[in-house]
Amino acid sequence: MLGFIAYRLGYLVPVLLAVTLLTFLIASLLPGDLAHAMLGDQATPEAVEALRRDMGLDQPLWWRYLNWLSGIVQGDFGRSFRTGEPVLRAILARLPVSLELMLLAEVTALAISIPLAIHCAANSGGAFDRVVTGLAFAKLSIPNFMAAILLIYLFAVELRWLPATGYVPLDEDWLGNLRCMLLPALTLALAEWPVLMRVLRSDMITVLQEDYITMARAKGLKSRRILFVHALKPSSLTLITVAGINVGRLIGGAVIVEYVFALPGIGRLLLAAIYTRDFMILQGVVLFVATGFVIVNFLVDLLYAVLDPRIRHAPK
Amino acid sequence: MSRPFRFGVLLTGALIVALTGLLATSAAQAQKRGGSLTVGLELDIAGFDPLKVGVFDTSANMAAALIFDTLTSLDDKGEAQPKLALSWSHSDDYKTWTFKLRPGVKFHDGTAFDAQALKFNFDRQKDPKNKCRCAFYIAFVKEVQAPDALTAVYVLNDPQVNLPKIMAFASSNNVMQSPAAMQAKGDDYNRNPVGTGPFIVKSWTAGDRMVLEKNLSYWNEGRPYLDRVVLRPLPDSQARFASLEAGESDLIWDDEFDSDNILKAKKTPRLTVHQHVGSGATVYAFNTKAPPFDDVRVRRALVMALDRNKWSQLVTNGLSRPATNPYGDGSWVKCKDDGALPYDLAKAQALIKEYGKPVKFKMLVTATPRGRAYGQVLQQFWKLAGAEMEIEQVDQTAIVTRAFARQFELTPWRIVDLADPDPQMYANFRTGSPVALANYSNPELDRLLDHARVTADPEKRSEDYCAISRLINSEAIWFWSFQNTYYAIAKAKVKGLPKLHNGVIDVSPTWLE
Repeated sequence: MLGFIAYRLGYLVPVLLAVTLLTFLIASLLPGDLAHAMLGDQATPEAVEALRRDMGLDQPLWWRYLNWLSGIVQGDFGRSFRTGEPVLRAILARLPVSLELMLLAEVTALAISIPLAIHCAANSGGAFDRVVTGLAFAKLSIPNFMAAILLIYLFAVELRWLPATGYVPLDEDWLGNLRCMLLPALTLALAEWPVLMRVLRSDMITVLQEDYITMARAKGLKSRRILFVHALKPSSLTLITVAGINVGRLIGGAVIVEYVFALPGIGRLLLAAIYTRDFMILQGVVLFVATGFVIVNFLVDLLYAVLDPRIRHAPK
Repeated sequence: MSRPFRFGVLLTGALIVALTGLLATSAAQAQKRGGSLTVGLELDIAGFDPLKVGVFDTSANMAAALIFDTLTSLDDKGEAQPKLALSWSHSDDYKTWTFKLRPGVKFHDGTAFDAQALKFNFDRQKDPKNKCRCAFYIAFVKEVQAPDALTAVYVLNDPQVNLPKIMAFASSNNVMQSPAAMQAKGDDYNRNPVGTGPFIVKSWTAGDRMVLEKNLSYWNEGRPYLDRVVLRPLPDSQARFASLEAGESDLIWDDEFDSDNILKAKKTPRLTVHQHVGSGATVYAFNTKAPPFDDVRVRRALVMALDRNKWSQLVTNGLSRPATNPYGDGSWVKCKDDGALPYDLAKAQALIKEYGKPVKFKMLVTATPRGRAYGQVLQQFWKLAGAEMEIEQVDQTAIVTRAFARQFELTPWRIVDLADPDPQMYANFRTGSPVALANYSNPELDRLLDHARVTADPEKRSEDYCAISRLINSEAIWFWSFQNTYYAIAKAKVKGLPKLHNGVIDVSPTWLE
């Protein structure tokens, strides 16, 4: 097992190098110029040139990348071009908000999709199954920003049950925190559950046709016990993979959801950094997000090994 | 005139004076104290140190108006009133301005505001070693002298007849920040600002909210009325409006591209739409050195093909107000005749025909939904006139780069709502200026611009600027689409909101009913 972990960890380094290099390239290919963005409409070309020199933007790209990389290795993420704030501090201040949002969203999505999928699989082709599958398909075609506005309109403006925007820190008032996180998490969960539900449903339908399930039925076991104990574990391998990969989608969704609900998370930081060409923040956030994504998928691989001994003991 | 009658007049006069006094007192009593006001801004605030952030954006301006003071303020007529400066005078050539400062004013950290502090703020921005991005905007000031603690002398490179008005705006150049705090806090000052203003920053969570509390030792006794102001960046316009409807915000910033919500709010009795007719406009510049725009007939034809009313209807439900000159209804420049070319499609078609060659060109457009929409409307107008425009989508900052390098045929630009037209008009049209985008030179235009900036009499200056407008409109080197209009939507109980100069909502004098 340890060898397996070390082997997978070895993958992390090249992946992160590739991701950061790509961001560096893409950021430098973005149209527009940080110096211009900072100086405003009326700046002279000389002023722009001077600022570019100042910020080291006139150095070749590879040099800037290596510089940045050597800083990261020493734990120095640099300072924001725009505010002078240390990048690491800006990210750490906002990270908990996004983590909470994604965790809540994932849990909600699983809480919606697992019971529905089991029920649909057990009665596949039935009326309930068809309605739920239809709903899932319909929800897949509603984009996040649309769902967010609809939820705000219903729960905040019309019913006044939940706040439309804003954030209360968890350590200040946990109930208030939950209230303002509920709609954003629900928005993300609504985009996630159809995918998870459909994957689990189809896997489960296959598993339910296995001989050992028939055997369990023949033994006279209760249907609920068969579904949750015998069928769920082997059916959930794809679900876990998809849930892991979906963390990427979740991060993308969080950017939009944080924007609409005005949550001070990492997604908003990223968006603002793109608009203002604040490369230092941009690089830092991308590095964090990429690391997070790679780690989650690494954990998924580990979970695989836990769930399925065949993977654990496979010859290298 | 008989005696009793005169007595009657006197009595009536006395009554009116008494009544007005009474009304004034009752108005003063109506201003309730206390309460908290939550304001929904558009963008997150980057900070307040000019060396770090350079120029404040609209959101930072709004916070700056609470934390800091400027030397002057603008009243609702647009006239300069005393604030940190009590009075001012100028030399005959308008190149030296002397300000007498208010005594006894203290920064939030307890240090004194005086001429030395003012000079420190100015020198710090002006010092070439500091490379402040804000320095460009004070290039017209040569130096600031502080002959004594309460006198500040501005020595200008260029004459400026309206300096006190220009100084009212809570920009990074104009607000007074504590020298002691700036020196002590260094890099951290940016997010821990210290001013003399009516409110003090209590807490600030980036991306979420800034909480400001009443400055108990504010120099203007009795002010502010509010105990607390909370500023929240709410980037999404729908969610921002929803936060107002749901009661989380008391007042929100808005713009005419959110016309659906503005129109909805106008029909809602518990909401008040505050609209400010600003000066300036959204404008477009032809590169008159690049064909086909080297021919005035083509330029005129394109301007005459614009149906601005239809355009406004298409993009903002008719909220956008058509512009016929660069000053706008909000400016003190009033023209009987601004020389605007009328909408006349037949004439436009005729001019294009007269030109003889096919009119094909590219126009720069910002790569945003708004920019694209504008480009497409223009494309259709000009197609009707017989001209073919190709849209070139570029990033906002790229537009600036391209404009400076004159790498464009037609580019969008903006004239912002300033208290005086001179800084922008001179920069945009004087021969040799880096932003004289049209590449156009005309001795008469230069003469008018030079004359207007050294003329004090507003009527005479107005005449100059109207002549300038007639010349530009007739030569069609630039054209104007819509005037600047600024919006705030508030709960009806929010009272005393001043005009939204340059789109900045200054809530410092407001109170809650």
